[in-house]
Amino acid sequence: MNPELDPPALRFAPSPALTMGVELELQLFNTRDCDLTPAASDLIDLIERQPHAGDVKPEITQSMLEVSTKIHHRHDTLVAELRAVRNTVVASADRLNVLVAGGGAHPFQHWSERRIFDKPRFHHVSSLYGYLAKQFTVFGQHIHIGCENGDDALYLLHALGRYIPHFIALAASSPYLQGIDTAFDSSRYNAILAFPLSGRAPFVLRWEGFVDYFERMHKLGVVQSIKDLYWDIRPKPEFGTVEVRVCDTPLTVDTAASLAVYAQVLARHLLSERRPMSEEIYLPYGYNRFHACRFGLNGELIDPLTGTRRTVAEDIAVTLDALEDHTAALDAQAALEPIRRMIGGAGNDASWMRKTYHASRSLPDLVFQQSERWRGRH
Amino acid sequence: MPPSASRARAPETVETLFFLPSWPPQIGTLTTAALVLLVALIAGEVVQRFVKLPRLIGWVLAGVVLGPSVSGVLDRVAIVDLHFVLNVAAGLVLFEFGQRSDLGWLYRNPWLAGASVLEASLAFGAVFVVLKVLGVPSVVAAFAAAIAMATSPATVLTLTRDLRASGQVTQRVELLTALDCAYAFITIGMLFAWFHAEYRGDWLLIIAHPIYLVVGSTLLALLFAGLARPLLTRLDAWGDVQRLCAFALVLIAVAVGEWLNLSSALVLLGFGACLRALDNRRRFVSLDFGPLGQIFLVLLFALSAAALDLSVALAGAVTGIGLVAARYLGKYAGVLLTSRASGLSTRKGSLVALGLMPMSAVALVFVHETVAVFPELGEQLLGVLVPALVVLEMAGPLLARFAIVHAGESTAPA
Repeated sequence: MNPELDPPALRFAPSPALTMGVELELQLFNTRDCDLTPAASDLIDLIERQPHAGDVKPEITQSMLEVSTKIHHRHDTLVAELRAVRNTVVASADRLNVLVAGGGAHPFQHWSERRIFDKPRFHHVSSLYGYLAKQFTVFGQHIHIGCENGDDALYLLHALGRYIPHFIALAASSPYLQGIDTAFDSSRYNAILAFPLSGRAPFVLRWEGFVDYFERMHKLGVVQSIKDLYWDIRPKPEFGTVEVRVCDTPLTVDTAASLAVYAQVLARHLLSERRPMSEEIYLPYGYNRFHACRFGLNGELIDPLTGTRRTVAEDIAVTLDALEDHTAALDAQAALEPIRRMIGGAGNDASWMRKTYHASRSLPDLVFQQSERWRGRH
Repeated sequence: MPPSASRARAPETVETLFFLPSWPPQIGTLTTAALVLLVALIAGEVVQRFVKLPRLIGWVLAGVVLGPSVSGVLDRVAIVDLHFVLNVAAGLVLFEFGQRSDLGWLYRNPWLAGASVLEASLAFGAVFVVLKVLGVPSVVAAFAAAIAMATSPATVLTLTRDLRASGQVTQRVELLTALDCAYAFITIGMLFAWFHAEYRGDWLLIIAHPIYLVVGSTLLALLFAGLARPLLTRLDAWGDVQRLCAFALVLIAVAVGEWLNLSSALVLLGFGACLRALDNRRRFVSLDFGPLGQIFLVLLFALSAAALDLSVALAGAVTGIGLVAARYLGKYAGVLLTSRASGLSTRKGSLVALGLMPMSAVALVFVHETVAVFPELGEQLLGVLVPALVVLEMAGPLLARFAIVHAGESTAPA
């Protein structure tokens, strides 16, 4: 019997509260025309030959590389590990003439040419989702926040829901797709919405309740494992974390680290506050999320409880002010500085990409500049 | 009716029935080319759809069947008349190849430069030794070994395009092919100088000629790239106009290279590489010649195959097979010895060596040039090379396709 079909034991493995870890899906492309190239297995072979920081894994297509960090408590160690992983990957990629970059989607890749990585699960996904699996060549950052128990994880999952537009807008880096300006700051998100189990988690606040939900879904044959849930935020019981999955992969590891710390500080605030919650918090959820994807930091955000309307940037500014004590407690002022700069007029990665493209009018050049930015050269 | 009989027709009949077509039909060079193109294109599609082999095998077969060795529709005179098509086609291919070559990779991965020098020199050495053992004179063996260093850029270009290939094996085969071609052209230049010197006793030529060849070709390539860049940049948004202008520039570069007695192959390879290096905004990265380039590519394969004399191939079968084996062993050893150090698994390294097997049209272009300058050397050289080419015209593309497909780098629907 296929072990994947066994009902998975959904025990929530506790982890220290407010620890964080980051996964980044990276684009691999050739130096000739800057289109995606199937280099993942060769690159992983080369990286695995030497002792290296971080963990490097294949993802669904050969032109995608996933790197992840260990568990961190502090911004300085997180950013140091991310830079070390980046340097390893870039040095190996240089030897293979492969360019590496962040960004939520490749600006002009032709998805019909993407190869599916040779691993059983990926082939299953590919045959199930057909063209969607290949269109799924989008690149995201996942932020894990450690929780002591399943109830905390579910509380945090739903409480963070209000702030999802912040993460989408700050990380947005996929304005171009299939050779056109999509007018969205994050077009990647639309690709994910096409999956049947995307969107938000059901409003369940107790871990037993979640296990019950999952087992019923499993019995119905809708899901095999947690991995089939493509939610914006999902619990990750084997890691003991909640996983925020709405971010495009930013163009620099420094932004990636700042986003993780922003989630950490928010989590500290939300867990210490512990307001009672009702499903009402989800009323403007889809509206807010759309605005963040479409307009980025200039999108409109409606507060579900007060009905206040602000731009996403203004809402982040208000939130950062409210988080000052927690920021100080986690020694995270420096980490949040880049976020303050972004909302203070520097703009997100999507606006950098549009500026860069308008300077050269060449999408391959934009992709190359993204790879330079990934190296830390801009 | 034999041609002599038709010409003997009474003049008054011709005069009264002037509106009737003459017999036999006078087929012009262009019409011959069109005929070859038509047959080759159809053969290519048939081979690809029904036999599941690469199209270019069909183009080659069409050339052989139409050529003097089989049906004679395309005779020796017609092949010589169409020689300019080969020059243009080789120019287009080499330009595109130069444009695809990222020489910066050699700097980022110096082992790759080592791999390139090693596989080319081992292939040269192995072929030379084997031919000497088989009793081929030194000069002929050296020329043949120099030509055997080169991998057919036309075959590699056609295959990678048809398979929509991308990945380590493809990229390395492309880079090594470009470098191999450059080595071959330079070595041939030096051998020519050596040959001249042996006859005339002027040893200054040995040094002066290759320097003229390399420096002159590089300067001319730079000049063309410098002129092409601003022009092509302005035409960026104009689609086809840009690629047609690039096409015209390539034709002019071929002509100027020939006029200056430079290697037009080196000029075009350098033109492409310099244009790429000057394209700091990556505006021309996807520049190709589209259907126009395809026409010349098909003719390149068909005409160069037609020029192969099958009777020579049979006579020299042993030498041919010896050359092919030695060439493979040299390239295989060179690539494999450096593959781990250059960051590639041994398995993929051996696939790269297979990918370097194609040897075809461009090699023949060299021979044609040699034949023109030194007829007796040319004949001997053809006797050695044609058997090897006959084998590799068929086997080369199949081996290279096997390598790309088995490396998992083909994205074309099967």
